[in-house]
Amino acid sequence: MRSQGIEKWIAPLLLLFCGVLVLYPLVYLVTESLNIGDAQTFPPEEMGIGNYTELFEEPKVIFNTLWVAGFATVLAVTFGFIQAWILTRTAIPGRARLERLMQLPYYMTPLIGALSWGVLLGPKTGLVNQVWRSLGFTSDFFNIYSPWGIAWVMALFEGTVAFVMISASMKSMDPSLEESSRVLGASKLRTALRITLPMVAPGVLSATIFVFAEMLGSFAAAFVLGIPGRFFVVTTSIWEATLSFPPDYGRAAAMGLSLSGAMVLTLGAAKFIMRKGSYATISGKAFRPRPMEIGPMRWMLMAIAWGYIIVSVMLPLMALTLTSFERFATVIVSQMQFTFDNYQTAMAMGSLAPAFANSLTLGVVVATLGVPTIGVLAWIIYRSRMPARGAMEFLIMVPQAVPRLVFGLGLLWAWINIPIPIYGTLWLLGIAYFTVFMPLGLRTIAGVVMQVDKSLEECARVCGAAWTYQMRTITLPLLRPGLIAAWLLIFIASVRELGVSVFLMGPNSKVVAPAIVNSWLSSSSELSAAMALMQTAMVFIAVAVLFRVARRVGGDVV
Amino acid sequence: MSAVQPRIEVRDLVVKYGDATAVDGIGFDIAPGELVTLLGPSGCGKTTTLRSIAGLENPSSGTIRLNGQTVWSNTERRNVPTEKRGVSMVFQSYAIWPHMTVFENVAYGLRVRKAPQSEVASNVTRVLEMVQMHGYADRPSSNLSGGQQQRVAVARAIAFSPNVLLFDEPLSNLDAKLRAEMRVELRELQRRLDITSVYVTHDQEEALAISDRVIVMSKGKIEQIGSPEEIYNRPASLFVADFVGAANMIAGTVKGPSQDGNLLFETAGGVTLEIEPPHHGRGGNTVALRSSYIHLAPTLGAHNKIAGTIHRRMFHGDFIQYVVDSPAGQLIVRRPPTESYAEGSSVDVSFLPTHCILL
Repeated sequence: MRSQGIEKWIAPLLLLFCGVLVLYPLVYLVTESLNIGDAQTFPPEEMGIGNYTELFEEPKVIFNTLWVAGFATVLAVTFGFIQAWILTRTAIPGRARLERLMQLPYYMTPLIGALSWGVLLGPKTGLVNQVWRSLGFTSDFFNIYSPWGIAWVMALFEGTVAFVMISASMKSMDPSLEESSRVLGASKLRTALRITLPMVAPGVLSATIFVFAEMLGSFAAAFVLGIPGRFFVVTTSIWEATLSFPPDYGRAAAMGLSLSGAMVLTLGAAKFIMRKGSYATISGKAFRPRPMEIGPMRWMLMAIAWGYIIVSVMLPLMALTLTSFERFATVIVSQMQFTFDNYQTAMAMGSLAPAFANSLTLGVVVATLGVPTIGVLAWIIYRSRMPARGAMEFLIMVPQAVPRLVFGLGLLWAWINIPIPIYGTLWLLGIAYFTVFMPLGLRTIAGVVMQVDKSLEECARVCGAAWTYQMRTITLPLLRPGLIAAWLLIFIASVRELGVSVFLMGPNSKVVAPAIVNSWLSSSSELSAAMALMQTAMVFIAVAVLFRVARRVGGDVV
Repeated sequence: MSAVQPRIEVRDLVVKYGDATAVDGIGFDIAPGELVTLLGPSGCGKTTTLRSIAGLENPSSGTIRLNGQTVWSNTERRNVPTEKRGVSMVFQSYAIWPHMTVFENVAYGLRVRKAPQSEVASNVTRVLEMVQMHGYADRPSSNLSGGQQQRVAVARAIAFSPNVLLFDEPLSNLDAKLRAEMRVELRELQRRLDITSVYVTHDQEEALAISDRVIVMSKGKIEQIGSPEEIYNRPASLFVADFVGAANMIAGTVKGPSQDGNLLFETAGGVTLEIEPPHHGRGGNTVALRSSYIHLAPTLGAHNKIAGTIHRRMFHGDFIQYVVDSPAGQLIVRRPPTESYAEGSSVDVSFLPTHCILL
C-alpha cells in the first residue's frame, strides 16, 4: 500500500527528530551532573558522583521543599475535594457555570498568582496589610513572603488540578452503587462511610500524590515570593546555582535530575494507586450522580464554591488592575493617584515591547508548527500498526516528567556546546517550547483521535477513497476541534512560559514571563502589575476562544 | 459451483495478531449473487475474515481472490489496497460520518469515483428510496436514530454499485423488533440487487433466516459449511449442534445395527434409542436431538418412545419450553403453545431416528 510506504519513512524520521529533541538535552544534563572538575568545560575532565553527595550535606533546601510542597498539597486537595463534592454531589444553584469557571484558576498561573498576592499581602505595602495597619494594628496581617505564602499561592493554583481529578472520580461512580446500599437498608451516613468514601478514596489519594509531585517541581511562586526572603526550595536553588560565580552547572544538574527522579517516582506511585485501587468506578462512563437536596444549606455551599473562584481569580485580578492604574499601590482612597503611565512604560520600555512581540510570535509559530507535527505523531501512535509506537509515545511524554526549569538547564548547556549559533535567539526558545509542549499537544490531540471511531476512516477506504483523500475528507474534518484546542493550549502555554525561558532568554530574545519577574524584582510593582495583566489578557482571550470551541463540539477538550 | 467462476475465493487464510491466531487456515468459495453468513461466537475469527476480504487486515498467509483477481497473497506478494478492491461494507457501528448530511454520506463513494453531478444526485435518490430514507437527504446525519443510521449505512454501501457487499454484524445494535424487520429488508434488497454478500453475525437465528449458505466458525477454524437446513438438521460437530438452535445432548454408546438399517444407541441412563447412521462419517458417543423435534404425545412412526414427567413449564408465547424428566436424562422440549401440559403430568416422549444425530 502507498500509505504504508509513506508511514514507513515518516515514522523513523519523526522518531529520530523527537528523540534528538528530547534526549539531547537530557544527555548533557546527566553528563554535567557527573562533572566534578571545571564546570565550564565540556566534555568533563573529571567525572564522579560528588555533585549528588553534596546535595545531602545541605538538607535545609530538601526540608524546605518537602514542607512547602506538603503543606500546599494538603491545602490544594482540601480545596479540590470541597469544590468537587459541592459541584458534583449537591444541588446548588448555578452549578454548570461554576464548573466551567473552575478552570480559570488554572489559567491564572502561579506566576500571576504570586505577583497579585504580593500586591495584596506584601509586608507593609500590601493592599490588605495597608488596611490592617490603618485599622490601628502595628504589624502586618500576613506576610506573603514566607513559606506559608508560597504554599498558599501554589495551593490556589493546584486546587483546580485536584478538583478536576477528584470530581472525575466522583462522577465516574455509578449512582446505583449507593442506591443499592440504601435499598439494602443502610442509612445515608452509613452509605457515605461504607460505600461512597471507599469508592472515592483512590481518586483522592492519587490526586494528592499527583499534586505533591507537581509542587516539588514548581518554580514561579517560590521564585517570586521566596527569593526576597532568601527562602530556597530545590527549584530556586537550581536557579541560584547557575547564577553564582562561576556558575555551578554540575550541582544544578545533579539537583535537577534528583528532583526529576523524585517526581517520576511519585507520579508512578499515583498511577499505580489509580490503577490498583480504582475498583469498578472507572468504567469510562460518566455518570451524573443524583445531587443531594440540601435545603437552605445550599446558599452556604454556593458561597463556599464561589469563594474559591473569588480568592483564586477575581481578588488577585482586581488587585492587579487597581495597582496597574495607580502611581503608588494603595487602597487608601485619599492617597490614590490614577494614571496610565504604567501601561505606557510597559509598551515603551526598550526591552518590554519586544518581549510581548516575541512571546506572541513564539506562541503562534510554535503552535502552528507543533499541531501538524504532533497531529501526525498522534495519528501514528494511536491509529497505525507501526512498530515502536509505544517507544514513540514514551519519548514524547518524557519532558512531562522533567520540571521545565531543569529541562531549560539541560537545553542551555546542550546548545551552548554546539557550534550552531542559536543560543540567545528566538530559535532556541522555539525549539525548547516545542520540546516541552509535545506532551501537552499529544495528550490533547490523542483524546480526539481516540474518540474518532476507527470504522469512520475504514469506511472511507471501503468506499474507494485513497489514504490522502480519506485524510482530507474524513479524518481532518473530524479532528478539527481537537486540533484547534491543541493549537490554543500550546499558544497559551507558550505565552506564559517561565521555567525554560529564564535560562534560554537572551538580551535580544526577551519573552514576557521572565521580563515580568525581572521587573518585579528590580523595579516597581505597579509596572509589573500592568505587564502581568497584559499577559493575562492574552491568555484569557485565547481561553475564551478555547471554551467556545469546546462548547461547540460539546466535548470537554481541556 | 464448478461451472461458474466464484466471486470470492478464500484459500488457507491465516491471520495472526502477535502470538494469537485469529483465523487458522480457512478456505471457502462464494458464488455470484450468493449471500453467505459467517456465524460463530465472538472471537471465532469471523469479523477478521470479513475484514481481510475488505483489505482492512493484513493476513499472515493464504490467498484471497475477488472475481478471479488475486487481491491478497503472501506468496505472490500481492496486496491490493482496500479502495481498489471494489468491495463495500456496512459496519457494525454504522460509521456514519457526523460532519456530513445524509446525502453527502451516501454520495461519498460516487464522488470518490468522480461521477458527474447529475449521476450522483440520481443514484443517491434511488438508493435512499430503496432504504425508505428519501425524505432525509438534507438532514445532518448526527441526529438520526439507530435504525435510520443503519439504513443510511446500507444506502451508502450500495450507492456506487460495488461487486461485493460485506456486512459486519449490521443489526447487532438494533432492538429485537427492528432487527427482525431489517433482516427481511436486507434479504429483500440483496435478492433485488443480486449482489454477492458476506454477512457476519453471532446470532444463529439471523444467520439461518437470511442466508443461502452458512459457514459456522469456532476458534479460527471452519466447523461446517452448508445451507441453513443442513446446518440445523445435520450438524457436523458438537459445537455446531450446540451453537445453532437448541439441542439436547445425550451421552451413550453405539451397540450395533438395528433391524431396519438404523443404529442402536444405549444412553448412559440405560435406554436404547434407534438412531440414523452418521452422515459425516465419524460416530462418537453423543446424540444431539433438537428440542423442537421431540413430541410429547404418541406419534406415528416414531421408533423412540420414552415415558416422561413434566418437571418445569415455561410459556414463551411463540412456543412452550418444557423440562422433561425421562430415563434418557432431562430433556428440553419445545412445543407449540397449543400443546399445553401442566407441571408434574406424565407425557409420552417420542422422536424419529432421523432427528438423532450421532456426533
